[in-house]
Amino acid sequence: MVNRLYQAAINMPLLYISAISLTLLLLVPIIIGLAGTILPAFNYLPALAHMEFGLTPWRSLLAAPELMGSIKLTLVSGLLATMISFVLAFSLVAVLYQTRWMSSIRHSLAPILAIPHAAIAIGMVFLLSPSGWIVRLLSPWLTGYERPPTWVSVQDAYGLSLVLALVVKETPFLLFVILSSLPQLKPQALLQVGASMGYPPLTVWRKVILPALYPLIRFPLLIVLAFSLTVVDLTLVIGPNSPSTFAVTLFHWFTDVDLERRFTASAGAVLLMAIILLSALAWELFYRVFIYFDRKRWGNGKRHTNAYLFFKTGAYLYLGNMGIALLSLLVLPIWAFTHRWRFPDILPSEWSLKKIQQLAPILVELACASLLIAVVSSLISIAISLVMLEQKRCCSTVTQWFDRLICWPMLLPQVGFLFGIQVFFIWSDVNGTVFAVLALHTLYVLPYVYLTLSAPYLSFNQQYYTQAICVTHSPARSYFLIKLAMLKPILWSAFALGVAVSFAQYLPTLIAGEGRINTLTTEAVALAASGDRKKVGNMAMLQALFPLLIFMLAQWLPYSWTKYRLTLKSTLKKGALKKTQPIK
Amino acid sequence: MIKYFVAGCLATSFLAFAETPPPWGETLKDAEKQTVYWNAWGGADNINAYIDWVAKRVKEDYKITLKHVKLADTADAVSRVLAEKAAGNDTNGSIDLIWINGENFRTLKNNNLLFGPFSNNLPNYRYVDESSRTSLTQDFGTKVDGMESPWGAAQVIFMHDTEILVEPPKSIPSLLDYAKKNPGRITYPEPPQFLGTTFLKQALIELTNHPEKLSAPVSDANFTLVTEPLWAYLDELHPVAWRQGSSFPSGAEQMMRLLDDQEIDIALSFDVSAASVQIEQGNLPDTVRSYVFENGTIGNTHFVAIPYNSASTAGAQVVADFLLSPEAQLKKQHPTTWGDLSVLTFNRLPKKYQTAFNDLPRGVATLSIESLGKSLPEPHGSWVEALEKEWRKRYSR
Repeated sequence: MVNRLYQAAINMPLLYISAISLTLLLLVPIIIGLAGTILPAFNYLPALAHMEFGLTPWRSLLAAPELMGSIKLTLVSGLLATMISFVLAFSLVAVLYQTRWMSSIRHSLAPILAIPHAAIAIGMVFLLSPSGWIVRLLSPWLTGYERPPTWVSVQDAYGLSLVLALVVKETPFLLFVILSSLPQLKPQALLQVGASMGYPPLTVWRKVILPALYPLIRFPLLIVLAFSLTVVDLTLVIGPNSPSTFAVTLFHWFTDVDLERRFTASAGAVLLMAIILLSALAWELFYRVFIYFDRKRWGNGKRHTNAYLFFKTGAYLYLGNMGIALLSLLVLPIWAFTHRWRFPDILPSEWSLKKIQQLAPILVELACASLLIAVVSSLISIAISLVMLEQKRCCSTVTQWFDRLICWPMLLPQVGFLFGIQVFFIWSDVNGTVFAVLALHTLYVLPYVYLTLSAPYLSFNQQYYTQAICVTHSPARSYFLIKLAMLKPILWSAFALGVAVSFAQYLPTLIAGEGRINTLTTEAVALAASGDRKKVGNMAMLQALFPLLIFMLAQWLPYSWTKYRLTLKSTLKKGALKKTQPIK
Repeated sequence: MIKYFVAGCLATSFLAFAETPPPWGETLKDAEKQTVYWNAWGGADNINAYIDWVAKRVKEDYKITLKHVKLADTADAVSRVLAEKAAGNDTNGSIDLIWINGENFRTLKNNNLLFGPFSNNLPNYRYVDESSRTSLTQDFGTKVDGMESPWGAAQVIFMHDTEILVEPPKSIPSLLDYAKKNPGRITYPEPPQFLGTTFLKQALIELTNHPEKLSAPVSDANFTLVTEPLWAYLDELHPVAWRQGSSFPSGAEQMMRLLDDQEIDIALSFDVSAASVQIEQGNLPDTVRSYVFENGTIGNTHFVAIPYNSASTAGAQVVADFLLSPEAQLKKQHPTTWGDLSVLTFNRLPKKYQTAFNDLPRGVATLSIESLGKSLPEPHGSWVEALEKEWRKRYSR
């Protein structure tokens, strides 16, 4: 009986068909975007009267003076930032895992993850530039500076401030990923076993948990790598600008009034894809080589490792990083309420609410649009992910293609890919509609949601579900009331991450929304160019608020939900009893 | 390319003769209830507020719904029109009006992507005297031909804080001397940002030994010979510039922020009232003053144009006409509104408006028309690309 119901549940043809159609649906934008990038790279774009294939775009790409410099910057900043972020995040977990610090750090993740990276970068510029808050705090009593020093601390030519900004942004994300994956490894048990054999915790982290953890977070790491190599808005704010990174250089070419530049830019976008691919391969190769040599040390029986100092330094650096992030976030609202704040004053000399009042009417409109887009695209992404994951659990051969395709939007550089889709949107006359914006947002939210859900969903102990079917005889009911209910924490995390990802999207909104559909982010980035710190502070602060609230909700609700639900239920029961009593 | 250009010119001039525009009354009637999407740079509050006021007024007078699509860069709108053309959307474009000039105008005009000619037929165009400024008919050397309607005039001004810098350098060579004595305190926006390119042109006009070559297309001149002094100058300037020339501000706004932070000593802007406006908003100290160079600074005109595929060309024309009205131009020149110079010729205005323009207050740091002095004409538009390309080749490494 149980077996038959169970079989029925897993063999639902509906599920199978949905999975196939969703895979095909995902394939469409990827093909269009790729074709729209690769064909122009070889000089083919009938819309602009380029009908013959040729290598002209590649020749002009190779002749571009900023090519080598910007590629070097991209590689250095991308690889360095990913490596440092991973080391810091893992070190912190290793050093502080079982301490009470960990829970405070866990709670500090939400604001940093929720806030769009461009906003953090702007805060960092306010903080670290020669006339920034840090120098203001120390001047002139300590530094003797009556005027800002002339050294270069942001937008430096080596891209070090860019690396710092990437690390500040990515470390919390990796920490979030590590903390979400760790429970599967049952680190507590591993540490106990290790301790019983005389291995101190850090040695267990180094020799047992690190090798077991890496495969679980390999994909998020590659996403971080691809993101670091291709990010545009963050680099525009804090990266060097002559030359800038390759992605930003391409972005300038794509939006250049000279249409011929589009072809060079497309060739560049293809090259950027190759750069991502090669970087990922190099990264994986490095890991393999490391493991090959490291394997011998795991079993050498030594109870202490040299990694102690390394881990501890990493953990402290992480804390320093978070200090920077915190101050960057703090300085935004200060600027938002400023009227006059001149160097070297530690705080504004005149405060005012003028800017907020000025912006109030459009803020309501923008907030509604941003929330609608973020919530809807996150919900769609969760629904798609659940269908695909359930299918994958039953029969992973069907979802193989989906698994491969899902990463493409994240790994492909937005700069080329989205401009490829743009022509299609205009052609099909959906450009500038909410649907087009939702479609592009979903394309970028889906991978994050899917990957966040993936491991926890698949490692769900299916016995609970089987038992539930035994009791209720209803697969659907058991699915929602038992399986999904038990997966509530990760569903909420995925939802919150989806909202945050959607909130941070700049290019997709701009390209699909045609400037008619604006979100807090498109407006904030448009304003960021104007350089008015008060306005930018205002926008960034408010832009952070909504994802922040949802993140906090996601951390709080799943754990309190059952308690409140039961309290509510019992109150209702009592109420019902009281009502019925007089009749008795 | 040249073939296209010639064909385009022929086509437009032919159209100009062949089609008589419908009477204005008809345009007004067609414009009613239309929605006009105006793509205009949205980076300055005061300008956005002025556009909101225009939207209110055209709603009242002409029942037109004007929507301001805020751009970070006008090139975005140009690429959108090009993308629409590419996708075959020839009748229902997303843009009805663009705030435009220079290179962007040249791209759209040369690709036949503009509606018109229309500006000479606008009723309020009678207040414009084309001979008063070359830039009214020659937009960076590109013939306007009625394909865009003038909106405002601009001139480069420099700003300095009188508390820090009492006697600012008043020429390109003395700017370098100052930078050498005060390393790290001088900079300019990064080309191809238009103000950055303008700085290059200003420097070129002052430094070159062949100034007469600049008014003709760059292809007619020996580029290396004409521009040699400019690059020699920049090679000397960059090592003593802000951040040693490794990065440059993004535009006037960032320069004023740096001026306020005292990171740099001199900022420039294309907006003559910029200093007063920023002092008022608490973004600059009230000791900041504007000034111009001894031998004059570059000036130009900015326009509005209508894309060829706009579905609301009537509405867009009526808005363009309203922008030219003495009422709108007067309000625009008011220092607390915007302070952008009027394109109308004083003598042609009705008495009432002549008095009103005379009575306009000036901000504490705004120069009078007389003290703005001579406005230097922009070099031919083709110099922009050549200068940007050479700058990129030399300094984008």
